[in-house]
Amino acid sequence: MIRRKVVIVGAGPAGMSAALVLAQAGARPTVLDENPRVGGQIFRQPPPGSPAAAARPKDASARHGAELLRRFEAARARIELLNEAYVWGVFPERRLAIGNQGGWQVVQPEHLVLATGAYEYTPPFPGWTLPGVMTPGGAQSLVKTWNVRPGKSVVVAGTGPFLLVVARQLHAAGVAVEAVVELARRSEFLRHAPRLLSAPGLLFEGGGYLRELKAAGIPVLWGHVVFAAGGEGRLQHVELAPCDAAGTPDRERTRRLEVDTLAIGYGFVPRVELAQLAGCELEFQDELGGWIPRKDEAGESSVSGVWVAGDGGGVSGSVVAELEGELAGLAIAGRLGLLDAATLAREKEQRLARLAPLRRFRAALDAVYRVRPGLARLAEPDTLVCRCEELTCSEVDPAIGFGGHDFRTLKVMTRLGMGPCQARMCWPAMMRRIADRTEKSCAEVGPSRFRPPVRPTTVGDLVQLIPFEDHSDAPAGAGR
Amino acid sequence: MKRPDALIVGGGVIGFAVAYELARRGLSVQLLDKDLPGRATSASAGGLWPVGEAVGLGCGVIYQATQAAARQAAGELAAGEECHDGILPAPFRDLLVSSNALFPALARELQESAGIDIEFRVGGGLIFAVYEPREQEYVDRVTQALPASCRLEQLTPEEAWKIEPLLTREIQGAALLSGEHQVNPMLLAEGFKRAALRLGAEFRNDTRVTALRREGDRIVGVEAEDEFFPAGTVVNAAGAWSGELARTAGLHCPVFPVRGQIVLTQALPRAMNACLSTSGCYIAQKLHGEVLIGSTTERVGFDVDVTPEGIAGLCRGAVRALPLVRYVHIKRVWAGLRPGTSDELPILGPAPGIRGYINATGAFRTGIVAAPLTARLVAQSLLGEPTDQPIEPFLVQRFGAPELARA
Repeated sequence: MIRRKVVIVGAGPAGMSAALVLAQAGARPTVLDENPRVGGQIFRQPPPGSPAAAARPKDASARHGAELLRRFEAARARIELLNEAYVWGVFPERRLAIGNQGGWQVVQPEHLVLATGAYEYTPPFPGWTLPGVMTPGGAQSLVKTWNVRPGKSVVVAGTGPFLLVVARQLHAAGVAVEAVVELARRSEFLRHAPRLLSAPGLLFEGGGYLRELKAAGIPVLWGHVVFAAGGEGRLQHVELAPCDAAGTPDRERTRRLEVDTLAIGYGFVPRVELAQLAGCELEFQDELGGWIPRKDEAGESSVSGVWVAGDGGGVSGSVVAELEGELAGLAIAGRLGLLDAATLAREKEQRLARLAPLRRFRAALDAVYRVRPGLARLAEPDTLVCRCEELTCSEVDPAIGFGGHDFRTLKVMTRLGMGPCQARMCWPAMMRRIADRTEKSCAEVGPSRFRPPVRPTTVGDLVQLIPFEDHSDAPAGAGR
Repeated sequence: MKRPDALIVGGGVIGFAVAYELARRGLSVQLLDKDLPGRATSASAGGLWPVGEAVGLGCGVIYQATQAAARQAAGELAAGEECHDGILPAPFRDLLVSSNALFPALARELQESAGIDIEFRVGGGLIFAVYEPREQEYVDRVTQALPASCRLEQLTPEEAWKIEPLLTREIQGAALLSGEHQVNPMLLAEGFKRAALRLGAEFRNDTRVTALRREGDRIVGVEAEDEFFPAGTVVNAAGAWSGELARTAGLHCPVFPVRGQIVLTQALPRAMNACLSTSGCYIAQKLHGEVLIGSTTERVGFDVDVTPEGIAGLCRGAVRALPLVRYVHIKRVWAGLRPGTSDELPILGPAPGIRGYINATGAFRTGIVAAPLTARLVAQSLLGEPTDQPIEPFLVQRFGAPELARA
């Protein structure tokens, strides 16, 4: 077993920021990331030399990301980085089981920072498994990372400001964006206007996206929902309608759009499997994406020495993630005796002061772009709800009726969540469906339960112990 | 049920099998259970390896290796010296072989009376793969010790590959036990449960029995949190927890938890004909295609965590025996607690000088294969009927006075 002072899981904005603060303080943190290059989902770096590398957008967020990557690269001598390394289990005493290069190793840090990010949420609806239906992030990564157009014509649907970003990128890449279908109603912005003004910069950025879409002639349909997708063997059309405040479509006013691609997502779900395996208490915070680890101001979870930063601890976006990463890094540096109390207090106050308005802004945004109960009712009897086990609503609903009101019981009754995704995909939606049908709250229905290995792992992956050291000689960003 | 004739503590395969046998004999039966993590039935491979287990060629191979390693570490064994030869007493082998012989009829019976297919399938037997000369010597010794009725056959590597084409080319030889098969352990327990329910047995889950209630030399019932359950006789089928339960009434039942970690892969097309046993692990492909790789043998109390080292050790053993599994994804890993005893034999029958109490525990690695006959012996003993086989070798008295046994 290998010991380390600090291991950071995830090299997105939160993980990179935590590492930078710790490197600065002299801790030589270890960073693990599943991807070949650092940056996370938002600042994902295309393979060097690829056409996408040349065609990267130059907006404010991308410029900021480039700056973060540059700072990370400059600090690389003081950071141990393992790319293409994944954590498949967390065992007592913060022992991490890590897969890398076809082998594995156990690493035990004194402090563990989980900066695992979030994944997109798409509740099931008729046709959602047709080829051509994807998440906005999936569509974005096709154009941004691989320079591949997902199709000729697209509807971007769901909820959240991310839809505007993706619509704009798809348009720029030459895809005909037929419409942006947004669940939230425009009038709700007015109600939350005062809090939205907490972060004028971000509000302005969002306004900019809207203006660009308008200039390009792309309609944004507020208060609408896509409730079905159809086609022979692949997506050919989507059906959408205006909806009420609960998200229930008014099917009398259905419109049909002929497209070959639907990018649909209703925000993000924090990736909490490692936190759960580490024994962190979880709590349900709907506006932050669902079940998240309970944590203090600096990000320390209910388990001493296990810290959470960024979207994996509650979806709040990359700007907040960076500050949270820094806060966790500072607190750990303090714990390790690398920062004196006065410096620590000063640095911490500075970050908290910057976080406060951002959190107010985010709360208002979350109130507007919230997941609504009507979405839980879109699935029809023959709609797949668990893709791994190929279960339809007509197989799961009766089990809910017979008392399958929690993950364990429903899993035993139906096999829901027994496949390789370990219910990551089905449970957030199924939990809401159970809540909707039983009049329980999601907090009462409870989270799913993860078991190692939480990443795809073959029997052979566990045969060979790997030497555990920084093996990316090339500077960050250049790949290996 | 006000005061059942028999109250069974523990809803594992043994508890339900006993419930079924007693209900069949017309007794009123109540079973109390609490689904604690680590129950052995749900962590069992479902291998019916009566002779294999009795002579240390099944899961016991790993147990012997673990014990030898532990004793070597403690300085009790010289390097290379065997721990003990793993051949268990003949009465135990008889118990397992006779119990195993009940399966074909039992499978039909549970299908008819409970509507459950326990997935009993006759396969290619159990192959013990020999990697080293030392293992071949052991197989030779076992072959001599066994009567011909046990159907142990020594194979050349070529013969072994004919039965199991994907078996590693690394083997020096093999031993085939052709009377050994497989069952689905969860469905076996479920079959006994449903059959018992149909016969009027009552089952309460989520009821954790915390203590036996003793009046003088008699056990009169059990306490479950704040409730008292009276009973004519209490059957201790609490598996790894049965030692703790007995102690609440001052009874001696030296059962300890022995953790077994298990790896299950994703389903594959049929790749194995037999079950495989090696010094590194055992491997069985289940009816729905998953490959089950078991199992560690660890004395760590009631800890049911899996460990990365434990899982990796099994994976190494599996890849060595069956190189193809290298490419197969792991579906899940988990651990169960076997009810272990120091002589590896079960503890069955009454406790000396105590009325209203009977042991049905200590099945260690063999609870699934032993369940049918164990249940019959316990039921016969409870009713004072002649037993199918002598129960004496399995009485708790063999451990002597508690003080001695604990020392």
